[in-house]
Amino acid sequence: MIDLSNIHVTFGKGTPLQKDALKGVNLTIEEGSFVTVIGSNGAGKSTLLGVLAGDVLANEGKVMIGKTDVTRKSTSARAGLVARVFQDPLAGSCGSLSIEENLALAARRGERRGLRSALGPRRRELFRERVAELNLGLENRMKDRMDLLSGGQRQAVSLVMATLAGSEVLLLDEHTAALDPGMAEFIMKLTQRVVSERKLTTLMVTHSMRQALDFGHRTIMLHGGEIILDVSGDSRKDLQVEDLIAMFRKMRGETLDDDALLIG
Amino acid sequence: MLSQIAFWGAVELGLVFAFVAIGVFLAFRVLDFPDLTVDGSFPLGAAVAAVLITVGINPWIAAFAAMLAGAAAGTVTAFLNVRFRILNLLASILTMIALFSVNLRVMGKPNVALINADTMLSPFFGLGMREVYVRPLFVGVLVVIAVIAVWRFLESDAGLAMRATGANPHMSRAQGIDTSWQVYLGLALSNALVALGGALFAQTNGFADVTSGVGTIVVGLAAVIIGETLFGARGILLALIGCVVGSILYRIAIQLALSTDALGLKASDLNLVTAVLVAVALVLPRLRRGASS
Repeated sequence: MIDLSNIHVTFGKGTPLQKDALKGVNLTIEEGSFVTVIGSNGAGKSTLLGVLAGDVLANEGKVMIGKTDVTRKSTSARAGLVARVFQDPLAGSCGSLSIEENLALAARRGERRGLRSALGPRRRELFRERVAELNLGLENRMKDRMDLLSGGQRQAVSLVMATLAGSEVLLLDEHTAALDPGMAEFIMKLTQRVVSERKLTTLMVTHSMRQALDFGHRTIMLHGGEIILDVSGDSRKDLQVEDLIAMFRKMRGETLDDDALLIG
Repeated sequence: MLSQIAFWGAVELGLVFAFVAIGVFLAFRVLDFPDLTVDGSFPLGAAVAAVLITVGINPWIAAFAAMLAGAAAGTVTAFLNVRFRILNLLASILTMIALFSVNLRVMGKPNVALINADTMLSPFFGLGMREVYVRPLFVGVLVVIAVIAVWRFLESDAGLAMRATGANPHMSRAQGIDTSWQVYLGLALSNALVALGGALFAQTNGFADVTSGVGTIVVGLAAVIIGETLFGARGILLALIGCVVGSILYRIAIQLALSTDALGLKASDLNLVTAVLVAVALVLPRLRRGASS
């Protein structure tokens, strides 16, 4: 479960470049719910994700993940609660480490790391099984360096990494944006499967309105640091990309000039 | 050609500096932290060990104390970098400069002789083997222990966290790794090994000198790079063995260069020869890559 109450984030406070990235955001996401987030550049999507992950600390408000108040907790201190897949396939793993070493790192997310060998036979077997489920043939390349993999393969492994250790929430940060359409579709199908199998509470930021409506149970739209749209259930089922745009115009009373928002 | 004594002397010195090479490998390659502290922590280790031995303390305990002193030096560099966000290279230079004064304080004079003192090696002389073999053999055994210990550490969960910190700090934090703590731990470990090298240097050579640290970093880096050129990037164990082999080869190359009369080099040309060797070692992999593509 995620509970954000009255979150304010201001960058560069007191300087001429002061920017209010989030202005009093309230958001509750029930356990096991899959929420998609859209919004134009600078709407506050990344900041919202950062507030949950710990990369950005809120100036005001309270952040609850599960039963834990993480408002002031650093990224590493709350890592046991938060699993994450980044937009840049290079960002979510260590290129100079092997596939199985990356998995071993992720398997102990948020836990104490001792002097036991990171890759015992039992763990190796578990990792192999989990990677084999991807059907990408990577189970035969477990000792290959991560940077030998394509962007799509790295994102697929990142998804496996995100689910190796338990977590309260899964954060997906435009994780298909850097991939070609075919690979993006594969990663989305995989995401869908992983999320429903494991009943993960998921927040997915996406650049595509199509994706935002096709996946998950609920869609929110951010604009200027505020949530301006929050739909779920039947009203969301009937929603089309065109409707979203129309709704966006109506609520803001301004014309939509951001082409990036229309793509997809 | 080299005389036997010169050859085994070079091997011995190479093995002593293998500790430096492994320490430099930890900082530069594992943590991606260009740490020049080693120029100060090497003579620090020598100074601490030599002073303790001259006052009659067990040489093994003296070597251990040297390692602790080295770890402390590394911690200072980490503190300057992590806590005050001083650029890593600059933080290490500050510690290095400060250590020059610290080393003089520790010894009370520019150098300490260990001529008739009992060292870690003393019990092994007079067992029938010639001294010229005993020294490299003794240091070699310690090097093997260090290589195995560092290898097992880097392949453990804790060591993997350190490698991840150097490779991708942002991702590491997202995996729950406290990257600041890793910098402290890594630099402490690295400089402890370098200081142990210094302690062994003092004991095998019979003296500690405040100027013996000059260029330690270049020598360590040369060994790491020679090792990488020979073995490539094929796992932690081979990289560590590469550090040791690189360190020995480097010493033999230097010894050859200096003892070949045709070149007309003097001992005072050592630093120039070192710089040329490191430059060649840096250029070779690039040339090889150029030829293959």
